[in-house]
Amino acid sequence: MTQSDNRRVVVTGMGAVTPIGIGVEAFWQALMGGVSAVGEIESFDTSELYIKIACEVKDFDPRAHLKSKLLLLADRYSQFAAVAAQEAMDQAGLAPPLPNPGRAASIIGSGAGGLVTLENGYRDIFIHNKKATNPLTLLRFIGSSAAAHVGIEYGITGPTFGTVSACSTATHAIGLLRDLIRRGAVDYGVAGASEAVITFGTMRAWQAMRVLSPEGCFPFAKRRNGTVLGEGAGVLVLEDLAHARARGASVLAELKGFAMTSDAKDMVNPDVEGPKEAMRLALADAGLAPDDIDYLNAHGTATTINDINETRAIRDVFGRAADRLAISSTKSMHGHLLGAGGAVEAVASIMAIREGVVPPTIGFDEPGEGCDLDYTPNEPARRAVRHAMSNSFAFGGLNAVLVFGPAPEE
Amino acid sequence: MDDVATKIIDILKKHMKEPRDDISLETNLEELEIESLDLAMIVFDIEDTFGIEIPYNANEEVEDFKTVGTVVERVRGLLAESGASSSGAAA
Repeated sequence: MTQSDNRRVVVTGMGAVTPIGIGVEAFWQALMGGVSAVGEIESFDTSELYIKIACEVKDFDPRAHLKSKLLLLADRYSQFAAVAAQEAMDQAGLAPPLPNPGRAASIIGSGAGGLVTLENGYRDIFIHNKKATNPLTLLRFIGSSAAAHVGIEYGITGPTFGTVSACSTATHAIGLLRDLIRRGAVDYGVAGASEAVITFGTMRAWQAMRVLSPEGCFPFAKRRNGTVLGEGAGVLVLEDLAHARARGASVLAELKGFAMTSDAKDMVNPDVEGPKEAMRLALADAGLAPDDIDYLNAHGTATTINDINETRAIRDVFGRAADRLAISSTKSMHGHLLGAGGAVEAVASIMAIREGVVPPTIGFDEPGEGCDLDYTPNEPARRAVRHAMSNSFAFGGLNAVLVFGPAPEE
Repeated sequence: MDDVATKIIDILKKHMKEPRDDISLETNLEELEIESLDLAMIVFDIEDTFGIEIPYNANEEVEDFKTVGTVVERVRGLLAESGASSSGAAA
């Protein structure tokens, strides 16, 4: 099965660990219910911070989800990834020993890797003056840890690595696996990203950038005043359509388009051109016109500049079709999962196609200046979603866009 | 101009690509072509220099960050609140 002509890539499994629910079903129900995970940080003392809120994955007990001892010793970020991968692989009906494991890939990125481990290690060395760090420190914090762990769990012996592109990490991972399958290098695999960086040091670093809201994440709304950090993981099982059919897997959706661009301008301020080009190329890659997209899961970080820029970029790419497009930023509910954002947002986009419902942008008072599209304010909207686009735009101007469509007819 | 103002103008200059010598209390920060990340760096530098904390959010229009003078006023206010001396913690 190495014919690369006309290979179609489909989604046969999805997994999610999010601040509003662990597991795709819980995640989707929370999106439908407009549940917000924004709350006071509970995992450490915030008295020295002035931004005291985040979207934490609460009550995450790795033992309840994972059997492998190796994973129980891993960083929180690898554990999130392993739980999401397990859900996705279960749904895809794939368990070890995998068929043709050399034709499978594990591409699971992270914006930052195991920062919880790194911070604890530094605390031990610099504050507690300990003579040695935990011997697993290095293996826990490297950014390829999650991809390797998942690969080991499933015996995947094909391409295994992590991607790193801040808030576009997961989208790049998913897109790269799509490309590997499309060109016949592998037949299937897991792709996504994980992030677990809600630590004192990271909050300090984000706080210093002055882009976090002290109140909540209100994308595209007048009241928006910054983003809110989240954590979690999302993983998709992608597969060559013929491969999926040959083993009788049920197909959830088709990954029709992917594109990536870079602004090459500024580390923080996003440009309009880069995101526009990424959306345009993703549509072209999917062979679709703007009119064919019914739902767009926006990057929508709730910073002043992202939301205006993204709105302008969408208007430019979609033209008149922009006014009939349902848009939402689910970050209003689960917060900004950074590297993992694109993966859980891909799950939301696929679910919107499957269920015919667009998740809302909650906390929406009135449209912000320059935000003049339909952001699906506050309540989910029932509508037929033929195709969905998911945007990820990262610090550094790194843009990646995915386009999903329904499962191909038999 | 007092010590606080002089130090703040020095910090602003440090963060400009082409430092100007005509910065006064009336100068608008916009005129100095200071962008959002520059401002975050400048606020950090001011905090570090004076040993204070300024809860500034780049997503909000803040009157305190309109002109050099309003920044100086804000810092003076915070110094008075914290009871720190204008010579600062790490000056």
